[in-house]
Amino acid sequence: MHFVGRSWLLLTGFILFYVIYLLFGALVFSSIERPMEDRMRTELEVLKQEFLNLSCVSDAALERFLLKVLAANKYGVSVLRNASTTSNWDLASSMFFANTLVTTVGYGHTTPLSDTGKSFSILYALIGVPFTMLVLTACVQRIMFPLVLAPVGLLQRSGLEPRPATIVHFLLLLILVVMCFFVAPAAVFSTVELSWSFLDGIYFCFISLCTIGLGDFVPGTQPNQQYRSLYQVAVMVYLFVGLMVMFLLLRTFHKMADLHGLTTFLQLPRCEESDLEEDREPMVEVGHKDLTEKEATKPLEPGSQPSYNTMNTG
Amino acid sequence: MRWKTVSAIFFMVVLYLIIGATVFRALEQPHESSQKLAILAEKLDFLAMHACVNSSELEDLVKQVVSAVRAGVNPTGNAFNQTSLWDISSSFFFAGTVITTIGFGNISPHTEGGRIFCIIYALLGIPLFGFLLAGVGDQLGTIFGKGIAKVEKMIVWKVSQTKIRVISTLIFILFGCLIFVALPVVIFKHIEGWSTLESIYFVVITLTTIGFGDFVAGEKAGGSDNPEFLNYYKPVVWFWILVGLAYFAAVLSMIGDWFRVISKKTKEEVGEFRAHAAEWTANVSAEFKETRRRLSVDIHDKFQRAASIKRRLSSELGINQEMTPGKRSLSTTLCEDREAYPNLTLSLSPVTGSLARNGSLYLNGLSPDYADRREFAINESLN
Repeated sequence: MHFVGRSWLLLTGFILFYVIYLLFGALVFSSIERPMEDRMRTELEVLKQEFLNLSCVSDAALERFLLKVLAANKYGVSVLRNASTTSNWDLASSMFFANTLVTTVGYGHTTPLSDTGKSFSILYALIGVPFTMLVLTACVQRIMFPLVLAPVGLLQRSGLEPRPATIVHFLLLLILVVMCFFVAPAAVFSTVELSWSFLDGIYFCFISLCTIGLGDFVPGTQPNQQYRSLYQVAVMVYLFVGLMVMFLLLRTFHKMADLHGLTTFLQLPRCEESDLEEDREPMVEVGHKDLTEKEATKPLEPGSQPSYNTMNTG
Repeated sequence: MRWKTVSAIFFMVVLYLIIGATVFRALEQPHESSQKLAILAEKLDFLAMHACVNSSELEDLVKQVVSAVRAGVNPTGNAFNQTSLWDISSSFFFAGTVITTIGFGNISPHTEGGRIFCIIYALLGIPLFGFLLAGVGDQLGTIFGKGIAKVEKMIVWKVSQTKIRVISTLIFILFGCLIFVALPVVIFKHIEGWSTLESIYFVVITLTTIGFGDFVAGEKAGGSDNPEFLNYYKPVVWFWILVGLAYFAAVLSMIGDWFRVISKKTKEEVGEFRAHAAEWTANVSAEFKETRRRLSVDIHDKFQRAASIKRRLSSELGINQEMTPGKRSLSTTLCEDREAYPNLTLSLSPVTGSLARNGSLYLNGLSPDYADRREFAINESLN
């Protein structure tokens, strides 16, 4: 009873904290962005008025035209002169789109226009998203050993205690990941993409690798991009590998939190230990059979199985 | 999982992507071309109708308008009765889309400070949301599990465990779809004015956290209808996203668990099979070794006996033809040995045929026939 009460208390605590966090974010975003938005709006009004004054165009006609242009632009169809040659749906771009769909990044710079396209996207996503998550977790399980367990073992053997060893290893891994997957690609992007600064590059890398995918920056969408297909394929590979590395980081952090007792304290799901041992033992011992039978006959509690594992905490 | 399995699955993913790409291209490119033609025609029309505007001026304006729209400013209509995209409720919604990693993108920060803050905010907020989701999913699962247990108690007749599990999963999926998908679809259709397909599309794209942003709930409703209703429409949408995400995550983790259980079971079965096969092979080879050992000992014994008989025979026959009592005893021992000989030849022939061929016994001239003949000769001489 006490246990149940505690878990409800923790949950409401989490929700409350979450709501407060959101409110805080809302306030900060609002205060930072709103002045800029107002300024842009006035500028645009001025521009419109200038245009209207200089020319014989009526307000209504311009409005109609602008609405159509904006509707087309929403789907990535641009009315500008030099944008008419490249398509958004050639093979490389379609593959890029399929990749953003399946990794749940979802930039939105191109979206399906036709009804059939939309229905197909629904089906494709429903099958592809769990499948990709499965693949990513499988890959992460495999690379856990050489990248995490072996170095931690090495650190332990060179005299450190288990807990500090995991912390040291996690920090090293974090620094390595940040250098290779944020700083280096950001530098590359800021040179290849003409209008991006270094900060824009880092912002893009972060937003993509967390699968948020706002879509305000998308590489390879400039109309006169050279080697566009190759570039898009390279970005796809970067996204996939980066996502895997993110999962690895999260899983390492989760294991570290396990070790330090945080997860049990907050009553969160623990990391699955059994998967790692299974990898190295090809044959199953007799004892295992009883265990898995018992597991299979537990009542189905989908949430109680470890974690929001497909999406975030790994 | 082994490397082979992982790389096999990886190739399957790449194949899946390529298939998706070709299908999307086939579906969307014609549409895109027709849209392009339409908008170009519009532009030419516009330029023709309003002869004082030249092409480059128009393009400049369009560029500015497009970048303004991406910043979230809507240039159509007057600037006065528009709601800001960064008022509290919209910012709240935006913060929510960042943390849940949906990331619609219809609103995005444009200042440097906004972007840096977005990064830091997401770094802290996404794990927080992950924990929250784990907790909510857990509670959902427990509630559902209790419901299933109650239903199980109510069921009087005997149903197997797997059937119950399958039925309960189906009920879970149906029920969840009803609450988290069908009901919102109806609501969005009514409030936002989208078609059914567009509503379903929006629900799926949002709840899988893909979040394109071509359809966003609460976007259109801003500015036109009564704003008080809008104030709690958006938080309700956000709440639906939270619980719907937990539901989707629960469903996906259930599917993942099934995969894991199935793969464990197959691994178990394969492992058991392998264990049995190894055991069987071990037994057979042990038996084989044992038989060979016994056989070689047997052959060695018999060889010794045959050699001693040969010595005795040759010494006896070499001296004279007289039958001494020793000879009678010799013949009886020969008879005994003759009984032993068939066994020897039998056991010699299939397995250790090579030994017989090397023929230590036969080379010594002590073939069974030969021994028989000698024995007859001896018996005749006795009689």
